[in-house]
Amino acid sequence: MLSRVAGNLYWFSRYLRRAENMARLLNVSSQLQLDLPRAVRFAWRPLVETLGAAAAFDRLHGEQGEAPDEASVVRFLLVEPEHPLSLRAVVGHAREILRTVRETLPQECWVTINHLHLHIEANAERVLQRRARQELLDHVIDGCLRVSALLTANVSRDIGFQFLRLGTAIEQADMTTRIIDAAAGGLVVPRNEDDAEAFRAMQWMSLLHALAAYQMYRRQLRQRVSVELALQFLLKDREFPRSVLFCLARIQGVLPLMPARKPVQQSLKRTLGLVFDADPRRLSDGGICDFMDRVQVQLAGLHDAVQESYFAV
Amino acid sequence: MDWTGYRSTSWDELIDAEGRPREAARPLLDYLSGFSRRELAERQLAADVTARVMGVTFTVYSEGRNVDRTLPFDLIPRVIPRREWERTAAGLRQRIRALNLFIGDVYGAQKIVKAKVFPRALLKDSVNFRPQCVGVEPPLSIWAHVCGSDLVRDGDGTLYALEDNLRIPSGVSYMIENRMVAKRVFPELFETSAILPVDDYPAQLYDTLAALSPRPGDTPVIAVLTPGIYNSAYFEHAYLAQSMGVELVEGGDLFVGDDDVCYMRTVYGPRRVDVIYRRVDDMFIDPEVFHPESVLGVRGLIRSWRAGKVALANAPGAGVADDKVVFAFVPKMIKYYLGEEPILPNVPSFLCHDPRERAYVLANLDKLVVKPANESGGYGMLIGPRSSKRQREQFRALIEANPRNYMAQPTLSLSTAPILGERRPEPRHLDLRPFVLSREDIYVTTGGLTRVAMKRHSLVVNSSQGGGAKDTWVVDTEEAG
Repeated sequence: MLSRVAGNLYWFSRYLRRAENMARLLNVSSQLQLDLPRAVRFAWRPLVETLGAAAAFDRLHGEQGEAPDEASVVRFLLVEPEHPLSLRAVVGHAREILRTVRETLPQECWVTINHLHLHIEANAERVLQRRARQELLDHVIDGCLRVSALLTANVSRDIGFQFLRLGTAIEQADMTTRIIDAAAGGLVVPRNEDDAEAFRAMQWMSLLHALAAYQMYRRQLRQRVSVELALQFLLKDREFPRSVLFCLARIQGVLPLMPARKPVQQSLKRTLGLVFDADPRRLSDGGICDFMDRVQVQLAGLHDAVQESYFAV
Repeated sequence: MDWTGYRSTSWDELIDAEGRPREAARPLLDYLSGFSRRELAERQLAADVTARVMGVTFTVYSEGRNVDRTLPFDLIPRVIPRREWERTAAGLRQRIRALNLFIGDVYGAQKIVKAKVFPRALLKDSVNFRPQCVGVEPPLSIWAHVCGSDLVRDGDGTLYALEDNLRIPSGVSYMIENRMVAKRVFPELFETSAILPVDDYPAQLYDTLAALSPRPGDTPVIAVLTPGIYNSAYFEHAYLAQSMGVELVEGGDLFVGDDDVCYMRTVYGPRRVDVIYRRVDDMFIDPEVFHPESVLGVRGLIRSWRAGKVALANAPGAGVADDKVVFAFVPKMIKYYLGEEPILPNVPSFLCHDPRERAYVLANLDKLVVKPANESGGYGMLIGPRSSKRQREQFRALIEANPRNYMAQPTLSLSTAPILGERRPEPRHLDLRPFVLSREDIYVTTGGLTRVAMKRHSLVVNSSQGGGAKDTWVVDTEEAG
């Protein structure tokens, strides 16, 4: 496996997983907003921040300050050409990378991603209409899942596949912490203390939906949604495939199938330790956002170790 | 579709001068007659969508970074009777045998020059002659492993060789994809007609490359070397690597060690490469020997090749025979090396380095097509009958300044085939590019890539200048009955 190709497979799976998570998050946010009483405002700003795009957003919409409007945020996160990590750009990056590794992956992957790209390009101007937006986001989720399924069903379990799995796992762990971060930071602007309490559960329910986790959560925990339990589930559940711990365990399973590299193993060990020792009860009293930041820093370190060990030779 | 009233001003591949279908095309035309205009338009749309989704795209340089454009595909196939094709294929085999002998001779004993069949002066001034290749003996004495020859038919029906592309000919993937599109759009026809398949090419190419390995006992490690995704033929490089199941590499993926062996950078560490099907031009392939600032190539690759540690296809220097002036000598090469009469005639050529022929060319600029020796893609040509006085004066100056670099040919009335016009089928000029693989035996594709000028009356079929493509059917009429 060429180092360049391995790197591209890794990035392809990261962008693919990122696009899917972004689409879910925006879909759920748009729906949560519809459930709020008219006097309660949905806070769009945390979505921008959680996706690491605050600086780019402020360059374009700085005058809107802490309470940007729906149209600006939605347009920015979905289709803004000036935003290098808009959903449109993320799909575009996945497609560009796929062009360079087409010979490695099933042809249907290219057909699907190319189709998705053309669909987004054709419908980009309509994302401010709610129905069109939802249709587009559903389309993105479906397309990404279709490619994931093609990879799972049709790709030989060779070394290249391990890099795909590695990228998917790191990206999902990262996106899960980001989506938790967004909910913890508050997606609703409360009018008073009662509001804050009343909408908290609603937000965490949305968050579970954004990670396709609500149904699994109910089945497993058989309880109403609470911050502590949702956090426990998304951070440390050993069976739910989008939980952070599950993703890290998957990386642990992948590494022995790749050429052994110490810095990668060490970095993973540190990340696992951090998540393993986390106490959801304590965190849910405050400190979720800080903790998620720490996990993200560890994941970034893991990414750098992978980059150095396998791609930059 | 209504064929009454369809008339071409030239030889037409499907319909004769009286408006009757040619024999091999009759089942196709009968079938198409059963469609309404609307049904055909729907199928054309289906073909366009299929092609676009499959990603049959190529980058056109002038459109800047990474602009995808689908190669226009016309629904109506071009049909060639099998018997005619067999003779054409024999002619192509003969040409490539002579051309490979010529290249080896030029870099070796130069017998053809000593025998005064080929002028020494032409060799001396050839921009594609590579002194670095003198004395090299590549495996099987083959230099041009992959050749794409352009064939054209004149108004009287004669099929001519127009040029032989021996450097890095492209287009074969379109031939294969065109067939895939046609099968999806006209499945019924493939059930009832004896249309010979074309999809064997990647396997044949693999065998051609594997035969060159410097380590004959082991499974060879083969790579396709591409300039990268912004190259106009990148799609094809990826396609061929994919369908052969070999690595697609860029210059940065390879390096040559102190042991002169060529390696790829992999996640396991360096791995030896045996055969490289390179789609990077000679001049960019090795900064140690050619353009020192090239980032597309691999430092030391020529050293490795000369040492016999890696095989390159096509061999560096093979382009010496891919020169429109050298082209004029192919019939003489066939006689000199093979002792045979050429099966395929050359398009008649006038060489400007010869004073008598130059005088003729300069006196007839308004009637001839003038071509520079080394351009490809249809650039830098003068089409006399369509040119302005100013353009002709410009070419007069160019020729007088550098006669070796120019040749001229009569303006052929290229044959036509119908394309699906807005209201009715309309004739458009076309050519044919078959691909020829040389190893111990010689393989010729079944038909080839038909390129068609989509603009009315245009004679330029190059994809870089708005040409399109058609599926090409070699049809066994005897079997089809």
